[in-house]
Amino acid sequence: MDSKKYEEKIKNARSLLELSELEIKYLGRNGEINKLLSSIKGIPNEEKKEYGQKVNKLKTSMYQYIEDRKKELQNKKSDVFFDKTLPGKTYPKGSLHIVSYAIEEITKIFEKISFIRVSYPEVDWEYGAFESLNMPAGHPARDDVETSYIDVPAHSTLGKMVLTPHTSNGQNREMKRVGKPPIRMINISKCYRPNWDATHTPMFHQFEGLCVDKDITIANLKGTLDYFAEKYFGEGTKTRLRPHHFQFTEPSFEVDISCNVCGGTGLISSHRCRVCKSGWLELGGTGMVHPNVLREGGIDPEKYSGWAFGFGIERVIMMKYGLDDIRNYYSGDIRFLEQF
Amino acid sequence: MNIKITHNWLLEYLDTKATPAEIQKYLSLCGPSVESITKSGDDYIYDIEVTSNRIDTASVIGIAREACVILNRFGIKSKLKNVIIPKPTDIKESLPLKITDDEKLCFRVVSVAMDNVVTKNSPKYIKDRLEAIGIRSLNNIIDITNYVMIEYGHPTHVMDYDRIKTGKLIIRRAKKDETSVTLDGKKHNLNEQDVIADDGTGRIVDLLGIMGCENSVVTPDTKRVILFIESNNPHIIRHTSMKLGIRTVAATYDDKQVDSELTGVALNRLVQLFEELAEAKIASKLVDIYHEPKKPKFVSIKESDIERLIGIKIPKNESTEILSNLGFKLISDKNNILTFQVPSYRSHDINIKEDLIEEVARVYGYHNIPSVLQAAVYVKQPKDMDDLFVFQNKIKLFLKHLGLNEVINYSMVSKDQLIDSKLEPKDHLRLSNTLSKDIEYLRSNLMVSLLKNIKDNSGKKEILRLFEISKVYLPKKGDLPNEVYKVGIATNTNYFDIKGIVEALYKELNINQLKVPEIIKGDGTFMTEIDFQALIDSSKLVPKYIPLHPYAVIKLDKTFALSPHTTYAVVRQKAFLSKLLQKLEVVTIFGNKLTLRFYYSSSDHNITEEEAKKELNKVRP
Repeated sequence: MDSKKYEEKIKNARSLLELSELEIKYLGRNGEINKLLSSIKGIPNEEKKEYGQKVNKLKTSMYQYIEDRKKELQNKKSDVFFDKTLPGKTYPKGSLHIVSYAIEEITKIFEKISFIRVSYPEVDWEYGAFESLNMPAGHPARDDVETSYIDVPAHSTLGKMVLTPHTSNGQNREMKRVGKPPIRMINISKCYRPNWDATHTPMFHQFEGLCVDKDITIANLKGTLDYFAEKYFGEGTKTRLRPHHFQFTEPSFEVDISCNVCGGTGLISSHRCRVCKSGWLELGGTGMVHPNVLREGGIDPEKYSGWAFGFGIERVIMMKYGLDDIRNYYSGDIRFLEQF
Repeated sequence: MNIKITHNWLLEYLDTKATPAEIQKYLSLCGPSVESITKSGDDYIYDIEVTSNRIDTASVIGIAREACVILNRFGIKSKLKNVIIPKPTDIKESLPLKITDDEKLCFRVVSVAMDNVVTKNSPKYIKDRLEAIGIRSLNNIIDITNYVMIEYGHPTHVMDYDRIKTGKLIIRRAKKDETSVTLDGKKHNLNEQDVIADDGTGRIVDLLGIMGCENSVVTPDTKRVILFIESNNPHIIRHTSMKLGIRTVAATYDDKQVDSELTGVALNRLVQLFEELAEAKIASKLVDIYHEPKKPKFVSIKESDIERLIGIKIPKNESTEILSNLGFKLISDKNNILTFQVPSYRSHDINIKEDLIEEVARVYGYHNIPSVLQAAVYVKQPKDMDDLFVFQNKIKLFLKHLGLNEVINYSMVSKDQLIDSKLEPKDHLRLSNTLSKDIEYLRSNLMVSLLKNIKDNSGKKEILRLFEISKVYLPKKGDLPNEVYKVGIATNTNYFDIKGIVEALYKELNINQLKVPEIIKGDGTFMTEIDFQALIDSSKLVPKYIPLHPYAVIKLDKTFALSPHTTYAVVRQKAFLSKLLQKLEVVTIFGNKLTLRFYYSSSDHNITEEEAKKELNKVRP
């Protein structure tokens, strides 16, 4: 059990390969150390303890010799030129869909101000998509050039089956689920409209905010929009409301955000900004929840009020990253997908 | 809809020093959005977006009314001009003119015949203004009708009295299979849902509110005309116009319920211009069929509701002043309840107190309302919804880090795609008004789309590993479909590559009990679909902890010859019958020779190699 003998052999190993062969020879399952350990049977009982300690000590020091020599060999300069500029080992890099990133980002922004994300059907009855939102039969949005219908018999009271043309069908469902305000909802989902051209796809995504409580005001809506715009589009982004009309809100607004390309001035070194033309970009529709919509959800509009908005995910991506060829979003082209 | 008017035209009704740029800026903030201004000669053209509820602003007069209120709020003194249009008087020796609407298909019909019409070019200002806003100038007769339409926001119509022959217009529903030829020469099939005018002989001479007919249209030889203006039912107009695909400017007004009080005023203006510009003379009595003249409409509001919805206090005198400037008359003010009479041009749009609040707020200026985030409150998120999003994100990120690319496909697929995937189209929900055969059916399986993705991408990248997490739609009789999330994975690599992805995902989610779903092969594509809920249900955030122990682990290798009876699964199942087996690894596979490494140990004592070998010897397939 002379450690010197082993030490010398290990120190003389000329390569890592040789070293690992020695490691197996000495420390492997059938190595010399194990042999020494298994021969403990033949040692008289009173010497067994001392013998065991010796072997273990030897084993520990051998590990140390091997480790030291390994380091020496690794640090030894090779004759071959070592090019530090070569790329490192390639690890796999996949991608998420650009819409997934936006959904996650938007969910987090609203979570911070106590909004919960919900999930509601993408295939609904006309009641959920229209009636419950103050859009009675005959409303132009219900035309079959605006909404995709499903070829099944209509429900006796809830009407025809439709692919939801907006995320607002979540409003009535959330009001009924919660029963009594407060409501702080963010509903992100696929939506469908029969529209397919350079700037429209028959499927798209919307995110819908709904806030109902006592004394919810236009000032609160402005506060929320300002908060979202700054978080999503960047510090200093401003919003403005313009009068508009939607059936499910009263008053109704269109929201614009200040253009980050020209800083909201509409001009880039005295030329008209190409992105916004006027300093502002249209974000989407919003408003104070129509009393009929609250009533339909079982909420008394004399006691509670609320705001709602529904914006396009593809639209905010386009505004933030300039990814304007929307048809690529859903073409499944790997050259598009793998970029993100 | 968008409407164009010109600055000089506007100034005929509005006295203001506001520049076009100021009008654009302030109107857009508080009223209709002025999308652009274009200079045209010495005039400016405004392109204005009019929302469907404010058809009253789709006119020179309507914009003048809005601009007047808004510009004054911004300190630019403006005043509406008092333009007086005289009401024409009947003449005694009249041409016969008989109009009936027995079924009350229109709200109101006004008409008069005129004689001695001289067809010629319009004066320059009419020509210039119409051309500037994109309406082709033809001659004075046609131009006047368009001019009045844009000025007042009410479609007007002129027909040749002599071509109608009977002096009669009978308004009725079309009969089934009746046809008419509109003035653009196109023939249309009609039915009972369409409303037309008949000359009393059964001949259709007008498609009401949509387009005139070839057999009654004025010609360069026209001497006598019928001026004809109806206040139409917007639902009927919309239906017919969409069905026949005729979207005339008239139809876009008429499908939005134009004020029927305006119908009479528009006729007066029409007569005035015919007299002035076509030398025409009234030749019949005035027809005015007004089934139910509009009654005054009142809307009340509690003063405190204004603040409750807007969020700041607007003094009562300020809010009532805004409303009165907009034409709302304060009728009473008792116990904090204010009652207003709605002007007739707003009577379809203003119904509830929130409508009045909108008027106050927009003119007060949305930019003057502060921005105040509402208080945060706790609302409980249902666990199943929370799980849905947390797991989606977790799985997406994991698969991405493994090197997969996420794809999002349309929820709709083609019939051929279903058949290619050996699915029955009849087991799927079908769109009744699909735009394209490519997106006709709601998919019940993500692999239908992934298969196409792999095919479409062939040649674009050597190795493809794609995944999608989306809903599939499983029809239910008489009810909404089951919308179930699935995780679909597809590769163009090999069986064990995709199997490894699923197993890695299971490991990541600490899933032990779930089987790898069937892997579908075909055409160099390998695909599988995992039920998302099953992943959630069987996953653990942290795996079961196994206490560490100081006892030796014996590693033993053994080689098996694989056969249908001796599969890895069989060996594994038998191996784990041993309580000492901690881990089993594949070392090599060569031909049908499988070498496995067995890790034996016990948590309460050091086992010997013999003990381990004894255990291994029991593993005999």
